[in-house]
This record gives sequence, structure tokens and C-alpha cells, in this order.
Amino acid sequence: MIDLLLVPLQALLVLALAPLWPGLVAALQARLQMRRGAPVLQPYHDLLRLAGKETVLSEDASWFARIAPALAMACALVAASGVPVLAARVGLGFTGDILMTVGLLAALRLVIALSAMESGTAFGGMAVSRHLAWSALAEPALVLSAFTLALAAGSTDLGLIAATVVGSPAAWMSPSHLLALAAMAMVAISESGRVPLDAPSSRDELTMVHAGQILDLSGRHLMLVTWAMQVRTLVLLTLVVNLFLPWGIAVEITVSQLAVALGVWIAKLVALGITVALLESITARIRMFRVPEFLGLAFLLSLLALASDSLMR
Amino acid sequence: MFTASLDGVLLAGAIALLGTAALLPVVAMALGAGHRLPLHALPRLLGALGGALAAAAAAAALAGSESAPLEFWPGFPTQPFTLGLDALSAPFVLLFGVVTLLSFGAHATVGRSGSATLSLHAGFALALLVAIVARHGLLFLAAWEGMTLLSAALVSHEPKSSRARRATYVYLGLSHLGTALIAYALLTLGAHGGWSLEAMAMAFASLPPGEAATLVWCLTAGFAVKAGLVPLHGWLPLAHPEAPSPVSALLSGVMVKVGLYGLLRFAWAAPGSPPEGWGTLLLLTGLVSALMGALYCAVESDAKRLLAWSTIQHSGVIAMAIGLAAMFHAAAQPDLARLAMAAALVHIVGHGLAKAGAFLAIGEFARAIGSRDLEQWGGLARRMPGMGVGAVAAMAAVAGLPAFSVFAGEWLLLQALLHGTSAGAGQLRLLAPFAVAGLALATALSLGACAKLIGIGLFGRPRSEAADAARECSALVTWTVLVAALSSLAAGLLAPQLLAILARPLAMMLPGAAPGGLSTHDGITLTFAGAQASPLGAVLLVALLTVLASLLLRAGARNKAVRRAPSWTGGTPIAPRTQYSSLGFARPIRLLVEPLFRSGEHRSTTERGTRYSPLETRVQSGTPRMFERPFVAPLVRAVLLLSDQARRFQSPPLHLHIACLLLTLVALLVWGRG
Repeated sequence: MIDLLLVPLQALLVLALAPLWPGLVAALQARLQMRRGAPVLQPYHDLLRLAGKETVLSEDASWFARIAPALAMACALVAASGVPVLAARVGLGFTGDILMTVGLLAALRLVIALSAMESGTAFGGMAVSRHLAWSALAEPALVLSAFTLALAAGSTDLGLIAATVVGSPAAWMSPSHLLALAAMAMVAISESGRVPLDAPSSRDELTMVHAGQILDLSGRHLMLVTWAMQVRTLVLLTLVVNLFLPWGIAVEITVSQLAVALGVWIAKLVALGITVALLESITARIRMFRVPEFLGLAFLLSLLALASDSLMR
Repeated sequence: MFTASLDGVLLAGAIALLGTAALLPVVAMALGAGHRLPLHALPRLLGALGGALAAAAAAAALAGSESAPLEFWPGFPTQPFTLGLDALSAPFVLLFGVVTLLSFGAHATVGRSGSATLSLHAGFALALLVAIVARHGLLFLAAWEGMTLLSAALVSHEPKSSRARRATYVYLGLSHLGTALIAYALLTLGAHGGWSLEAMAMAFASLPPGEAATLVWCLTAGFAVKAGLVPLHGWLPLAHPEAPSPVSALLSGVMVKVGLYGLLRFAWAAPGSPPEGWGTLLLLTGLVSALMGALYCAVESDAKRLLAWSTIQHSGVIAMAIGLAAMFHAAAQPDLARLAMAAALVHIVGHGLAKAGAFLAIGEFARAIGSRDLEQWGGLARRMPGMGVGAVAAMAAVAGLPAFSVFAGEWLLLQALLHGTSAGAGQLRLLAPFAVAGLALATALSLGACAKLIGIGLFGRPRSEAADAARECSALVTWTVLVAALSSLAAGLLAPQLLAILARPLAMMLPGAAPGGLSTHDGITLTFAGAQASPLGAVLLVALLTVLASLLLRAGARNKAVRRAPSWTGGTPIAPRTQYSSLGFARPIRLLVEPLFRSGEHRSTTERGTRYSPLETRVQSGTPRMFERPFVAPLVRAVLLLSDQARRFQSPPLHLHIACLLLTLVALLVWGRG
């Protein structure tokens, strides 16, 4: 029973905490740059403000623009429900498969991309074309690095993978694991639109990638899509911390283990947030034309991880 | 004449109906009765019925009805021509039946040339069906050739288009190269044993191993042409877009699969085969095809050609699965071989349905606008909403999103590759990671292509007057497209059921393998080695949450209305040209693979003004053909050179003629003696 309850619980947890992470990173960055900055809870205020605003839709938009925001949110949530957040084994097994997760994230990407092209402005098309070209490298890197771990588990089930990594404490020292972790972290950076690929605070339309895709949305539609993107970021970060560094995750479902898992998960995310804030403060965004090199590196690292693991087996 | 079993009767009915549909317009026109008969409605109805009967026959065969083959005497002294549905041909006939039904439903043509096209369409469908169910070597060859010729006639149905003429030449040339190889192998086998498929299999066994392997390689190369595998794919992106769209649906959805059927029927099933290295080569060829197809698909601006490239991609994916199955089979890993073969069969049906729907929908837009160039499209989803829904669903299916039919095949293949990486034999373990990488790359690229086709083509503002004037076409055609999209959705959601239906063909291909490992325990979940994926469950959840989210939004909002306003384009006046173009959309992907496209035909010249403030710029672009320059062009040059030389002998002096005859005679005598 608690197994089944855990799935909506985890999804709700991800949904509720998703806006917190970008707020935390922004606040930390402001501190590092000796600014006061916005409060940590600013993203929640933003969502609330957007919910009260009027929703305007382009005259050129079709029926798809009306369902796209809700569809995007649904895809993000179902992806979130399959990821091991607190417990390694999730009751709703059928979405806890890495290929299903990748497929749902791809669906989310397509829905946001298409809704960005509804209004027929150049900025939407520009941002979408760049994001999809980058994802063409990032998505295979995600699959390959997850497959590296799946080799040891003998299965693509995310819970099984996490449990296997927990069960073999020395395995994370292997070169293939570290290579896959590096690739996965690069993918998470790319897909959540952080420096050095995209600047979340950028307001220059010509260089926006993630923000460029929501330029033509407003009001409630903008709120939902922004929130869905935040959920996607948290899902990817959870994959990084709970697949590759899964210590603390609840292997058996008891209240004490779950409480520990919750604390450890949040601590890991905060640590990741501090790292990202530090990195973003000391690195500059790379030129648009050099992004393929960055992602190509991620792709090759993950391929190397899988190939070396397969050969050393 | 034949024992009346259910699927036999249905099959005979399908053949009779398709034959009538093909002959009716011809006979009526010859008798001058063309104006009195409903020459569009009747053949269309008969063809659709024929498709439905074929699908029913296949369903009966898959359910386990084993019938005696239909026989008839062709009139010359060989064994009788036989037609029969066995477990292997059943999934192909099922796919054929559904796609034929849909393609006749969407075939709305008018005029005299229209009924000729319809007649050819029915004839082509008949040849396809006979090629799949033929149980006799000569009959198979005849159907194969008929399939090629009739489809070539359909490819050149616009006689004034030089593009169509070129496509027809290339198509006929390459296809006949393949047919020659197949005919050589089948005639050799037939001369050794007999003409029935069983006798041919016996002949395979009686041949010395070296010779048998040569024949298998000939067959493989011949069928690879039809399947559109790189480097024998050159005809496919030229020919598929030129045919009328309902025929394109049959070409991409079914005919390419018939090439793969040939591989399974003749090369796989030959005793002692597949020969050493067959699986590896197929896996590699499939990998290259999948990558190339996806790459070209992502940079193509011609809507129908984009779909044709995507067909090459998916044909490559299926070839990968078959190659992988052969490698597992050779390494005596029956469970994994079964998994890979299941991936191939599921993907054959899944992709056939998805691609047929995509061609029907996109073709209808192309017809409404009068151009296949995406730069002329735009704003169509608002102007043709019904067709727009069908197109978005069909393209999402082609891109392999979890709800649709292509996902299941790719899921199974990736599972097989994962286990090949960990448990495969030495060679496979080396190859599998690269195959995973290639497959993932191809899938991700095809998502970009899908977003381009829909986003540029159907959304935004119309880029031409024709696109602005486009209106919903006939209700029947729209509904056909919607049913096509639905069938692809159903095949995706019920993929575990599809897998259960394909149990008999799987058992026939891999007799030793137990159905262990891969299972569908609750009927809606694909399960292999602890991994579970249930498209139905995930999609129901997504649908539920979508409805919930929209309801919550509406309930919680203060002002519920959504206001419409003009798009804001950064202060510049709104015009069709301020939108992103299809070419610009593909630019970042081109940049990713710059080295491959360095020879690209992308030129931008400033006509007036300076380089930094151009007043008028002319941009020319096309997709470079990376395989044609090194492989096909020298071949064409050699053929042309040879024919130039051969021309000298066309009207030679008499003594040279006689000398040639003499030499031929001597050569024949020497060969005959030896």
C-alpha cells in the first residue's frame, strides 16, 4: 500500500520543490557576487504572479497551443513519478524504466518546442532549432551513461540500477562509472539551460535558448510551462544524484529510511546547487558555435564509459 | 481446387477484389463505357475491401488457422503456382491489408488520368500482396517485377516533371540491379531443386556451402536495394516522394518491408545460413542507414522527401534488429535472439502504420498547397485542423514518442543491445555500445526533424498564398488520416498485445527459443529482465494529468478567457518571412556535422550592398549526397562509358557481325563442354 502511495508522493514532492532549486542557485549567486539578490522563494512568487495574469495567445496559434502547457506539465510529472527520489523500488514499475523516462522527456521537449513555434516569430524558431540540435547530442549521452549503469544491474529499471549501485560500494570508483557521471552532469547542465550553454538570467532574445522557447507564452500558460521546465531540471538532477551517487536512498520502505532518504536527497541537491552557483560565477558562457564541442565531449565520454565497461567485463 | 479454410477464402477474395479494381477502369475505358460507370468510387471501394479482406486473412493466420495453399496451373510444365499464408508472411499481410485499406480511403483523385492512377494503384497493391504470399519461386519473381514496374509507373505519374523522370530512371536502374541478383539466386536454386519454397530450401541444403553462401549474399544485396539500406538507398528519397501520396504510403509503409520480408524469407530461412558475418554486416549496414537517414531527414526541406529519409532510418533500425538476432542466433543465445527478432517484427508493423499515416497526412497538405517545399507552407494546423491533428499524431509516432507504435520496437531493440553489450559474443560486445549510440543519435535527430516538419510546416503564419488559402479537404480523407493515426496509437499502446500476436511468426523464425525472458505478464506491460515499460499506463497517466492540469488552471484563474493578440516580432512588421525558415531551422544540426556536410551545396552571395550590410542576398542550398559521389557516380560513369563503346557494335559491317556470332558460338561450346 505504502508502495503505491509513494509514487504520487514522490511526484508531488518533485513538483513542490522544483521551483526551489533555481531560486536557491540564484540567491547563492547573488551572495557570491556581493549582491543582495532576490529571496530563495522568488520562483514561487513568480509562478503565483503569473497565475493571476491574463493569458494572451497569438492570433496565429492553433488548437495545439491550448493543450500544450497542460500536456507539458503532465509529461514532466509522469517522468518524475518514475524516478527514484526517496526509495529505490517504486511501486508503479511501468514508468520507472530509463527508456520510458527518456521518451517522456523527449515528449516534453517536443511539446514545448512546438508550442514555441505556434506564434510564428523568429525567436521561437531560433531557440527551438538550437535546443533540438543540442539535444540530439545530449539525449544519446543520457541514454549511454544510464546504460553504463544498467550493464551492472542487467536491467534498464531505474530502481534496480540505484539498488545495484548502493549494493556494490566499490563500483562507483570504476572509470566507466566516473566517465558516465561526468557525461550525465553535462547533460543535466545542457537540458536545464545553465551556464556555460545558456544563461537563465539572460534577457537577450538572440541568444536565449530555454527562455526563448517561452517568449510568446503568457499568464497561466507561461506559469505551467515554466514549472514543467523546473520539474524537468529537478528530474535530471535527481537522476544524477540518485543513480550515480545513490547513498542514503531507501532500499526498504520504512518510515525511518524514507526520512533519512528525504534529508540526504535535499542535502545532495543543495550541494549540487552550491557547485552550480560557484561554477556559474567563475565561468563564462561559451560561444554558440562551440556548444557542439561541449556536448560532443559529453557524448564521447558516455560512449567511452559504455564501451570500456563492456570490454572490461 | 483448394480446401476451403477461412484465411484461404479471405486471401482469394482479397486477390480477386484487387484484381477487379485494377482491371475495371482499364476495361471500362477500352469499351468506351468510362462515363457510365462510377470509375472513381467503385475501384476505390473494391481496393479498400481487398485490403480489409487481406488483413482479416492475416488475422486468421496469426490466430492459428493453418490452411492449404491456393494452387493454380500457369499453363507451362512446372509445379503449380501456389499462394499461401504462413506464419512469416502473416504479419506482413496484416500490415499490407491495413495500409492498403487506408491508402484507398485517402485516394481521392478525379479525371481520366485519375482513374488510370487508381488502376495502377490497385495493380501495385495486388503485386505487393502476391509477392508476400507467393509460395513459388517464379511467381515470386513475377510479382516482384510487377511490383517494381507498376510502382515505377506511379512514380512517373506526372509526365511533365523532369524530377519525376529522373527519379523513375534511378529507381528502375537500381531496382533491376537488385532484381537481377535475386533472380540469379532464385533461378539457380530452382534449377537445382524445384520451384516451391520448400524445394528451394532443400536445394540450399544440397549445394556446397561456398556456393550456398554466395547465393545468400546475392539475395541479401538484392533485397537490401528494396529495403533502402545504405549504400543501395539512392532511389528511395527520389522515388517515394514523387508518387501520389496514398501510393507513397504503400511504398514506404509496405514495399520497403517486403524487401525485409525477402531477407527473412530467403536469406534467413536458408538452411545452414545465415552465413558467417551476415548478422554483423546487417547490423553495421543498418546502423549506417539509421544514422544517415536521420541526419538527412533533419536537414531536408522537402516535406515528402523528409519522410522518405525517415523511412531509410527506420529500415536501418529493422535491419539492425535482424542482424542482431542473427548474431545472437549464431552465438546460441536463443532468448536474446528472440528478443531482437521480436524487435524487428514489432518495428516492421509499428513503423509501417506510422509512416503510412504520416505520408497520407503530409501528402494531403502538399496537394492542398501544390508544393512539397516547407518554405511555402505554414499556418496549416489552423486552416485544416482535422488533418493537423492526424499529422501531429503521425509525426509524433514517427519520432518514436512513447505513446506510439515505433517506441515499442526501439525499446525492444535497445534492451537487446544492452544485453548484447553485457552478454554477447566478443565481436558483438565491441559493436553493441556503438549501435546503442547510433540508435540513440538517430532517434534524437528524428525528433528534431519531426519538430521541423510540424513547427515550420503546420504552425505559425502561412508563407505563401496557397498555404493561406488551404482548406480542409473531403471528410473521408480526413477521417482516413485520423484512423491511420489512431491505428498507430493503438499499436503503440497495445504493443504487448502486438507482441503476443506475433508469437507464431517468432516461433517459426527461431524454432528452438523458448518464450522465456521477454514477457507481457499483465497484457499491457513489456517486461524483460526486470525492466518494465507500459505505454498504455504512461499515456493514461499523462492524459489524466493533462485533463487535471487544465481543469485546475481554469478553476483557479481569475480571468478565464484567453485573449487573442497579434504576435510580437521585436518591433519589425509581421510578415511571413519574419518567421524562421526550414533551412535556418536545420542550420544548428548542419553545424554539428559540419565535416560531413563540408561539400554542402550551401552558397550565399550578396547581390547588392556590402558583406556587412547586404541589401539583397541570394541563398542557395541543397543537401549534399555523401554516398552518391564516391559510390554511385563512378558506377554511372562506367555504365555510360560502356554503352558508348557498345554503340560501335550497333551497326557494324557484316563481317564484324559474323565474327561476333562465331566467337559467341565458340565460347558457348567451350563452356558447354567444360
